[in-house]
Amino acid sequence: MTTTSQLRRARPRGRSAGLPLQRRLAPYVFVAPFVILFLAFGIYPMLFTLRLSFTNWHGAGAAQWVGWDNYLYLLGSPAFWNSLANSAVLWLLIIPFQLVLALTAAILLDNAKLRMRGFYRTAFIVPFVTPLVAIAQIWVVLFDQNYGAINAVLGLVGLPDIGWLTTSEWAKPTLALLFIWKTTGFIIIILLSGLQAIDSSVYEAASLDGAGRLRKVTSITIPLIRRTMMFAVVLQTLAVFQMFAEPYVVTQGGPYSSTTTAGLFLYNHITRGDLGTGAANSFLLVILVMALSLGFVRLLRAKD
Amino acid sequence: MTVSSQAGERTRPRIGSHVFLVVLTLAFLAPVAWAILSAFKPANDIIRHPLEFDPTTFTLDNFVGMFADVPIGHGFLNTAIVLVLKGSITLFFAPLAAYAFAKYEFRFKNLIFGTVLLTLMLPTIVLIIPLLLEMKELGWVNTYQALILPGAIDAFAIFWMRQVIAAVPDELLDAGRVDGCGEFGLYWRIVVPIIRPGLAGLAVLTVMNIYNDFVWPVVVASSEQMATLQVVLSTLASTISGNKIGADYATVTGELLAASSVALVPLLIIFIVLQKHFINGILAGSVKG
Repeated sequence: MTTTSQLRRARPRGRSAGLPLQRRLAPYVFVAPFVILFLAFGIYPMLFTLRLSFTNWHGAGAAQWVGWDNYLYLLGSPAFWNSLANSAVLWLLIIPFQLVLALTAAILLDNAKLRMRGFYRTAFIVPFVTPLVAIAQIWVVLFDQNYGAINAVLGLVGLPDIGWLTTSEWAKPTLALLFIWKTTGFIIIILLSGLQAIDSSVYEAASLDGAGRLRKVTSITIPLIRRTMMFAVVLQTLAVFQMFAEPYVVTQGGPYSSTTTAGLFLYNHITRGDLGTGAANSFLLVILVMALSLGFVRLLRAKD
Repeated sequence: MTVSSQAGERTRPRIGSHVFLVVLTLAFLAPVAWAILSAFKPANDIIRHPLEFDPTTFTLDNFVGMFADVPIGHGFLNTAIVLVLKGSITLFFAPLAAYAFAKYEFRFKNLIFGTVLLTLMLPTIVLIIPLLLEMKELGWVNTYQALILPGAIDAFAIFWMRQVIAAVPDELLDAGRVDGCGEFGLYWRIVVPIIRPGLAGLAVLTVMNIYNDFVWPVVVASSEQMATLQVVLSTLASTISGNKIGADYATVTGELLAASSVALVPLLIIFIVLQKHFINGILAGSVKG
């Protein structure tokens, strides 16, 4: 017993005993500011939410322990499931379309003979660096049913006006378009970094074997950047399920809660002061997002 | 991490490729270009003829009206204060902690770094409610501290900088020690100059994230006095119609587009000037998302 504890204590001392005091203390000083902020604004609130999620606290007075009530309430609440369903539909509207768009653009950009590559790359990133709230406001004006430029364009080709923001069937696609517009350039850059890691000799070998252009894409490019693609999907899944500013500014969650996303639903608990339920909702969302991410990672592994 | 150089395909691009890329470029640039140009049109024309642009009728009326109705200058000021203070904290302390993780052995190192990795996976929105309550307990709601301190030393920045610093050869540090350099001096005089490109990437990413941040500011500091630029922008329509009795849809729209244009121009300029660092920053930033 004494020997093991002595050994255990001896090991770290043995490693650093010969070092000057300054060198031994330095790392603690260097990480201290981070650790202090992290404990205060990361770990503490995290543990606090966990406790809060089992109470019916509304922000003042004594909190009452309610056990699993908040979780059970949410799991039985149609509004909660509606928010998840809205996010899931947005995911379906966004991810497949965006992936095809971004992959096509990235493959075209990954060609040294393409003229104006730098220009295209810059242009594609512009949406990603514009402030989301500003562009969301512009979206409201562009997609206005009576005065918006989008319906004006549709009118030019003889199509009828669409109630982009005022009908529950079009509100989700309008938000999906905003999200696709804002983030596709970012996905293009990620995919492009994956494509550039592919050795060009692989393509040359395929050309010698007589593979056509499309064949190269499906049997070389896509399998080789599957990891990068899956990584992009995980990132976008996290982002779609946290989507908040878009519905907050553009549709306020309407019409008829059709754009109340998981992120906006969570925020609404705060405005209602229903903090215990909000905390429980946070954890349910974490579990869901973690499960989805792990699911994608496993999907990736299974194919390896 | 560089995006230029090496390309996979060597065939000359066909006409279809160009058409696709041009259409995509137009789709990506049109909303921004439309908003900025429309902001110069007479308000009534914006809604009556949304697709027509006649430079002879261009006017600054929307901007003049907007600056009178929207506290956008105040929003810029608050964002600038947060940007300078929070940005400095991030850029000074995150690489310093990363340096300790990359080049030293110390107690709890793996435990702390493991926690850093774990928080990278957590959705940020989860912390909003408990952090807000903590701010209420501290009496920090609607204060600069609340906007600046949480998240100031970002776990992602540490994770990224640790990778960058790990590439600095240990021999250089040992040589510095032989020359009598102190531990902080090693960081400041040897490590920082070497990792400057990485720091530049971190800087642009940090500026972009702080400038565009919305969820946390709108939750913790939505008062008129403390509203950052993005929070000011989020309530444009009600602010404009509230400050201008009887304002019609055209006037509100004109001022709204003027405000949005003013808000997106600074970042666009920084982006165009520092493009390379931006793309590197975004690529590295994608690890967090």
